[in-house]
Amino acid sequence: MATIGLIVNPAAGRDIRRLTGGASVVDNYAKRRVAECVCDGLTITGEPLDVLVMPDRTGIADHAVAEAPAEIDATTLELPIEESPADTRRAAARFREEADAAVVLGGDGTTRDAALELGDVPLVAVSTGTNNVVPSAVDGTVAGAAAGLIATGMVSVEAVTTRHGMVDARAETPVGERRLTGLAAAEVSSQSFIGTRALLDPSDLRGGVVSQAHPGNIGLPAVAGSLEPLSPTEPGGVAVRLTDPEDAPRCVRAIVAPGVTATIGVTACERLEPNESVAFDVPDGVVGADGERELELTDATVELMPVPEGPRLVDIDATLEAGSRAGGFEIDAVDERQME
Amino acid sequence: MAELDLDSADGRREALRRMVTIRAFDQEAGNRFADGEIPGFVHLYIGEEAVGVGTCASLESDDYIASTHRGHGHCIAKGLDPKYMMAELYGKAEGYCNGKGGSMHIADVDAGMLGANGIVGAGPPLATGAALSIDYQDRDQVAVGFLGDGAVAQGQVHEAINLASTWDLPAIFVVENNHYGEGTPVEKQHNLDNLSDTAQAYDIPGVTVDGMDITAVAEAVAEARERARAGDGPTMVEAQTYRYRGHYEGDEEPYRDDEEVERWRDQDPIESFKDRLIERGELTQEEFDDLRAEIEASIDDAVEYAQETDAPEPSAAYEDMFVEQPPELERFANVARTDGGANGGDHR
Amino acid sequence: MTAQAELEQETETMTVREAIRQGLREELERDEDVYLIGEDVGVFGGVLEVTGGLYEEFGEERVRDTPISEAGFMGAATGAAATGTRPVVELMFSDFMGVSMEQIMNQMAKMHYMFGGKAELPVTVRTTEGGGMGAASQHSGTVHTWIAHFPGLKAVAPGTAASAKGLTKAAIRSNDPVFVFENKMIYEQSGEVPTDEDYTVPIGEAAVEREGEDVTVVATQRLVGESLGVADSLEGDVSVEVIDPRSLYPLDTDTIVESVEKTGRLVVADESPLSYGTHAEIATRVQEEAFFSLDAPIQRVGTPDTHMPFSPPLEQEVLPGDDDVRAAIERIA
Repeated sequence: MATIGLIVNPAAGRDIRRLTGGASVVDNYAKRRVAECVCDGLTITGEPLDVLVMPDRTGIADHAVAEAPAEIDATTLELPIEESPADTRRAAARFREEADAAVVLGGDGTTRDAALELGDVPLVAVSTGTNNVVPSAVDGTVAGAAAGLIATGMVSVEAVTTRHGMVDARAETPVGERRLTGLAAAEVSSQSFIGTRALLDPSDLRGGVVSQAHPGNIGLPAVAGSLEPLSPTEPGGVAVRLTDPEDAPRCVRAIVAPGVTATIGVTACERLEPNESVAFDVPDGVVGADGERELELTDATVELMPVPEGPRLVDIDATLEAGSRAGGFEIDAVDERQME
Repeated sequence: MAELDLDSADGRREALRRMVTIRAFDQEAGNRFADGEIPGFVHLYIGEEAVGVGTCASLESDDYIASTHRGHGHCIAKGLDPKYMMAELYGKAEGYCNGKGGSMHIADVDAGMLGANGIVGAGPPLATGAALSIDYQDRDQVAVGFLGDGAVAQGQVHEAINLASTWDLPAIFVVENNHYGEGTPVEKQHNLDNLSDTAQAYDIPGVTVDGMDITAVAEAVAEARERARAGDGPTMVEAQTYRYRGHYEGDEEPYRDDEEVERWRDQDPIESFKDRLIERGELTQEEFDDLRAEIEASIDDAVEYAQETDAPEPSAAYEDMFVEQPPELERFANVARTDGGANGGDHR
Repeated sequence: MTAQAELEQETETMTVREAIRQGLREELERDEDVYLIGEDVGVFGGVLEVTGGLYEEFGEERVRDTPISEAGFMGAATGAAATGTRPVVELMFSDFMGVSMEQIMNQMAKMHYMFGGKAELPVTVRTTEGGGMGAASQHSGTVHTWIAHFPGLKAVAPGTAASAKGLTKAAIRSNDPVFVFENKMIYEQSGEVPTDEDYTVPIGEAAVEREGEDVTVVATQRLVGESLGVADSLEGDVSVEVIDPRSLYPLDTDTIVESVEKTGRLVVADESPLSYGTHAEIATRVQEEAFFSLDAPIQRVGTPDTHMPFSPPLEQEVLPGDDDVRAAIERIA
């Protein structure tokens, strides 16, 4: 029997951008409903499936398991709960061993945490976060259906997945080396502290490296995408360096956060080959990943580098289309009557 | 300008000083309570310092706060003097409330501190009221209502937030989620993981931040203050934090284990902020040790002052019931203070 | 002060409702820090029409409708009073006080004292009391004893149009929390009301509404007018002095005691329930101060420890009125 891993990050989608920008709140009730929809979607193939769910303290996982349809054998993983990104990583590591596909409900941050441990397991990323470049804003049932088609082998994994890049950050500081990985972006900000984590004010952004770039993204990938678009399937990345618009040789308008457009001054914007790095001097600032401040640095040098070893992302539309072409949705009418 | 500028080294040093002052004050308050010197009971703020200081750092000095029963930290964060606070804990005439309030009712309205409060959930309506005064007189201030996770279940908290949001008042509701309402864990009190989700019901923003990180609290409150002053109404900021001591001093804490306390202590708001300032090169461990020693000495002085300063005259019990004192008080005071109760004759 | 002396000023005839409204209007005009808040005080004009027209005159900032949220707005009024404004709250029916009691008893009443006098609470709470209109138990109570009893609060209860205006204005000008208990059955009762914009009734001063020699009736609210009617009807047989204490806390003991020293007999008529109440307090003070002047047991007229029932015959059964006052006088005179 095929196995699906399900991660729902209870902490996603509630950061300060609800206050400073136009981000909407995805409360735990809504996440629970999406998780239940994923399980409902998995039944599209008509085949029984095992579902392993990351445990949490909010009841989301318990509800998903309790409400799972009869065709689904859902269980909660026996794992410690820290209520931190470590929970996602631990669950993803288990899925690498045990799952045929994974569904992750969260934002870029959650998707990145899962990607770091998932290995080759195909990842269906559903957006319940804020600053989402990679996960799709898609109904949970549809996402579940795609995962079901892949896990049961009805659709060829190779045909409907692409390998997304990531961005490594390595900081040399007076107290040693520190590392960080971003999925869509690693950013450098002149803010001193992690604070509420979200990269709030575009005027604090000094630049960074993105693994995909499109003006329709949000945050640094949008800034890069306004000058140097890079599709998620292309290798390498784009490096951008920013400055005050008044001093900048070029300026762009970009969506920097939900509900926030800004004029951004750009001093440099260039394509990077895989594993080609750029360096930023950080006398006092933070390095972020995927729109969130992570590392506070002083007197540091940060090297940012696009790397090819990212998650194996499922193209949900392509999967469903392939399922249709393979006749995966058609069943014997007589069988259906017998089922009733 | 905010009360403390966390973008400046001086502001950060002062924020650290206030957090250390709160801890030193409350440690000493706990010790002196254990020694039987402080009457009544005390609720200590140790572990939650980043919430009070982070909040007040982003306020102006004339902004208002309405506090909780765990109010010592809010007082110090707002700039009250530990000396007169300690005198109040000792019930002395020179205390902030002339000895009539004690730990649970320290107030300094002129400093914008509308009182600690013995009633869970009673502060937010007062903050809404202060915000109403501000709005009515078009003053450039905001009012903060502190409340605990337990208070989120109180009806009057709902009423206060509803009123403030309906009227777009410049209020900020800071939920100090220390994970226990007295002895009952938060998950046994609410069918919600993030208490800030309740903000949605009022169509106001609600955010949850790391209450062990002063920079996170200060940033969120600064945004909330800006929003309030722009006329956009209240904001709820939930700060996830933890109290290291019991609900009150003497609480045997059957509801939690040491391991859990240790886990939170690993994120200690003072240690972590101090470490970051050291890493930034603007503080050394020696300087920090000196700072702490200096603060502890000042708290010792506050205790000494509180011990030695005069207790109120018993007759003060009859004062300050009203601005305009009714004759009843004098009348009954005389009866109480003489043998004249039964056939007291004419007290007119 | 006698009621007569107050009325030696220029007056006009108006109802209790109009007198309160005029008091509110004058204070709103006099002091910009004063504003009204409460359920339906604005566009609706108050459920018993006391604030009618004020919204149009002063606007929605100063005559502010609240949600049905007694705890919330009572608390907000307390917080607002502590921070520099002078809210005047209308609590639609005094029976709703329980909903807001926490903010009244633990915040409003205690802040000044607990803070060592360092917070002033210039808040006024107006509310309606009393049976007689078939409003049943949850809209007819007389609860002023709770507030008069509770330390830190002042309570007044007008019985005439003049005192209704004067007490309302005094309450608003006071820097202490003052509750004004308006009996809803006398809103239409007319009387002479001083027109002077600075006319107030000092809190803590009773009024001798009618002088007499044989019996003192201390009556409140609706029972003031009814006792005056009884006194008139007994003219020639019994000489009745009628005193409206006007202020329940503080209570003008002196005026009452002086009267009893003259008459030797006392009837206390107040609509609140009889046990442990306003009557008991007045009776106690009289026996403390004028025990040897008393010629007869003190008589009480009040609600016989029931709630206000709905059915009119039941309501009339328990509602104290002029017959009860007359009977009480006749028992001792």
